[in-house]
Amino acid sequence: MQKTKGYKQIISWLKADKKKPFDFQKETWQHYLDGYSGLVNAPTGFGKTFSVFLAVVIEGLNQPKPVKGLQLIWITPLRSLAKDIARAMREVLLEIGLDWHVGVRNGDTSQAEKLQQKKAMPEILLITPESLHLLLAQKGSTSIFKNLNCIVADEWHELLGSKRGVLVELALSRIKGLQKANGNQILRVWGISATIGNIQEALDVIVPETDAKKIIVKAKLEKKIEIKTILPEKIETLPWAGHLGLKLAHKLIPIIEKSKTTLIFINTRGQSEIWYQHLLDIEPDLAGRIAIHHGSIDFELRNWIEDSLHSGLLKAVIATSSLDLGVDFKPVDTVVQIGSPKGVARFLQRAGRSGHSPNEISKIYFLPTHALEIVEAAAIKEAARENNIESREPFVMVFDTLIQYLVTLAVGDGFDDKIIYQEIIQTNAFKELLPEEWAWAMQFITSGGDSLTAYNEFKKVVKDDDGLWKVKSRQIAMRHRLHIGTIVSDAMLKVKFLSGGYIGMVEEYFVSKIKAGDSFILAGRVLEFVQIKDMTVIVRRSKQKKAMSPSWLGGRLPLSSNLGAVLRKKYNEVLDKKHQDEELDTVYPLFLIQQERSHVPRNDELLIEMINNREGFHLFAYPFEGRLVHEILGALVAYRLSKLVPITFSIAMNDYGFELLSDTEIPMDDAIAYEVFSPVNLAEDITLSINSTEMARRKFRDIACISGLVFQGYPGKYVKNKHLQSSAGLFFNVFNDFDKHNLLLRQSYEEVFYQQLEEPRLAAALHRIQNSNIVITYPKRFTPLSFPIKVDSLRANMSSEELEQRIERMKKEVFK
Amino acid sequence: MKIEIRGEEIILDKERAIFLPNEKLLAISDLHLGKAAHFRKAGLAVPNSISQSDLSRLSVLLHQYQPTTLLINGDMFHSDYNTEIDEFAKWRQEFNDIEFILVKGNHDRQKKEIYENLAIEIYEPNYETNNFCFIHDVAHCKSELYAISGHIHPGISIYNKAKQRLKFPCFYFGEDYSILPAFSAFTGLQLVKPKMPDQVFAITPSKVIKL
Repeated sequence: MQKTKGYKQIISWLKADKKKPFDFQKETWQHYLDGYSGLVNAPTGFGKTFSVFLAVVIEGLNQPKPVKGLQLIWITPLRSLAKDIARAMREVLLEIGLDWHVGVRNGDTSQAEKLQQKKAMPEILLITPESLHLLLAQKGSTSIFKNLNCIVADEWHELLGSKRGVLVELALSRIKGLQKANGNQILRVWGISATIGNIQEALDVIVPETDAKKIIVKAKLEKKIEIKTILPEKIETLPWAGHLGLKLAHKLIPIIEKSKTTLIFINTRGQSEIWYQHLLDIEPDLAGRIAIHHGSIDFELRNWIEDSLHSGLLKAVIATSSLDLGVDFKPVDTVVQIGSPKGVARFLQRAGRSGHSPNEISKIYFLPTHALEIVEAAAIKEAARENNIESREPFVMVFDTLIQYLVTLAVGDGFDDKIIYQEIIQTNAFKELLPEEWAWAMQFITSGGDSLTAYNEFKKVVKDDDGLWKVKSRQIAMRHRLHIGTIVSDAMLKVKFLSGGYIGMVEEYFVSKIKAGDSFILAGRVLEFVQIKDMTVIVRRSKQKKAMSPSWLGGRLPLSSNLGAVLRKKYNEVLDKKHQDEELDTVYPLFLIQQERSHVPRNDELLIEMINNREGFHLFAYPFEGRLVHEILGALVAYRLSKLVPITFSIAMNDYGFELLSDTEIPMDDAIAYEVFSPVNLAEDITLSINSTEMARRKFRDIACISGLVFQGYPGKYVKNKHLQSSAGLFFNVFNDFDKHNLLLRQSYEEVFYQQLEEPRLAAALHRIQNSNIVITYPKRFTPLSFPIKVDSLRANMSSEELEQRIERMKKEVFK
Repeated sequence: MKIEIRGEEIILDKERAIFLPNEKLLAISDLHLGKAAHFRKAGLAVPNSISQSDLSRLSVLLHQYQPTTLLINGDMFHSDYNTEIDEFAKWRQEFNDIEFILVKGNHDRQKKEIYENLAIEIYEPNYETNNFCFIHDVAHCKSELYAISGHIHPGISIYNKAKQRLKFPCFYFGEDYSILPAFSAFTGLQLVKPKMPDQVFAITPSKVIKL
């Protein structure tokens, strides 16, 4: 490689800038030129982008005459990333003098630019997984990939653990198939990933062929991170739960002042709006110098904020995960995380947003939003120190995504089912797909239903004269294009000023609850709702200073099991006082209260608290396994208890534990406790308990959208949908009653089982509990541990009573 | 479940129908025939059996109550003509001795001849008996009589102190008007919020329960 024209050109270009390539970059170039696919694993700020990108450039420079046409597809999970990387790439190409164009294609790309791209594809295309599928849904799209040399999945760790990762896998399988059909085998696939627990698996998902030349390039560089917790003076000043940590906001002001630029991460969009208002309230001088950035803010506005971040115009930006990933904002030297990041990887990722250049130290402050999160802070510090980083589990057997993909191909140039089947079973996601499951998926999009119950008049995908499966109806094709993707949100409406100018988006559900004259905040502005017109929310500036913040659904992340384990350990240490953590000293008084009213669970204990009050009979248990596992565990324990006596529960949970609430007394003693937490008969009991709650039904909401059963609409693009209104819940009932064998229905149960439940994790937790001491206490009042669960509003039901009896009892209560 | 409104007896059936013994009239609302096929035509896979099941539930009711009149209180056909209407035509033969009345709803946009061929008498905007005025959407009612409407697919949700919640389709009987549940199983629910002295009857899989 060293002797090639391209390599020399790159090295001299770097030298002119007084730079030298890192070893891992050189390694990547070499492997790439040798025809390898692979995965680059390096911390942020060390030029991950330039590893694979420059490899492709070197190869381009080495060609005797300049090659044209699409060479490199660069998949990014975020739109904001694409713009940034495109800018960096263009600079490099200009300086080196390689006449390649860099194009961006995603939801923000204008129609004119897309048409231009259709005429002449740029050499490098930056694209989201969704837009890549949209490309496949276009007529004539199959010819664009002919000379493609490389596909890169940037921030692959981020895509891997979601259905978007499956979109990438499927698109890769198709593009490889198209190249093979042309007798072309030049394509190399590279992932770029931050450190995760299952890096080898990450490679095997993106390059699934066992006989492929593939390799992991790992940078032997370490990013220094400094973590500081913002602690309250006294523990009483921090509410137990349900608040946003606003009481500590004043401590942020000096941090913002002394830093060049601060990024403040908050977990949800709604809370970020509230924080923005609050910071301005307590420090009016910040007006004009801070901004708010999240996924529901209009594209133009986000662009402006990102540009201002680059130029250092802004003192601070409040952001959600919309700014999580590799965007390199040079002026940012401080990061603040408000509320639990729920996982070590995410926390480190966010920390990496500051001190972006190699050798600089990343500085991150953690601001807890309730008292128990202070313990989490100590746990996170320890996990970060020990590099105890989570794995991202890839999704498999997601029929909704498969069905969407097949229709995408049918909307495009059409497909041959035999060829596509061969391609699909090569992917990691569908390598276990059975022939009969494939047959079902084909029937579902062609004749509807299964072979016995073909649906009358069903029209979606039909076989064309050329033998390919296609979508013939323009209406169906248009509807399908509008909803390609696997991110399901409520129907979103654009928000626009009466006088013109877009501000962002809110959920239709939120708008349905407000009336003209009401105010709400969006993008940091107080807006007065005027009316809905043409599916757009029309607002004017409000004179009010305060208003409600729309709550965007979703976005509640569960605690990872890695963090859960460290957290249990920290609980042991608080009362011992044999630790080094200032955080644990701060929460000491709270743990004294917990000890006094009930008990502080030790590492080898499971605490159960039984509390009776006006609301009813509560059972709280604290396994510290994360919200999702607790939801299932709660259902399981409720189910087993309900086998002992006819009883009805409502179930609530948070990351620390769960609550069962009943209006009749809950049977409980040591023997019962060990029995209901037993790993014996686990699979069967879980199936029964999942069936009797609404978990599968909730999963089905996404599945119905992704598979195209329910049309979720598209912000600003209203498609006439006459007489086609329905809901995922309705489809769930219909399939349950009339088409039990529907694989989408089965998927909803399996998603509960495998993704949410993480069966091995649950079994491990139950075994741990069996070997622990179960401590049952009967506190007179709520305890510091139980209170946060009690105020949580997410609830499910479980019952072993006759429906009619339940109604009778509930009636008596309501009318007494 | 038997109730009395304006001195006349009404039987509420868990199959989402009411029967007036005095008039020998069986009434249902929001049948939405052809909805599933309409969805299928648009590429949304909805099983056939759903409309067959709706019709067979209706058969059972007609055999059980032996009415002289079946009244459909609007939204009988969901959308454009499709095969499910053909199936209905075949099914209709079995009940040639029963008079079919359709009080037109917002979905009922078929050609006149289609209703004529199916031997369905059309009333617009309402159909009146001695005590009652049947109308699809009560918002358009101008009659002095007690209105029996449909249209919104009413549902009721009940709670208790232990934060438990149940949701059912329901019959709603207010002071001046009532709302019938949607007959078709392929319909959603819109929750009603009753005030005193409104009467609401929840429909469970096994019976009708007064709340």
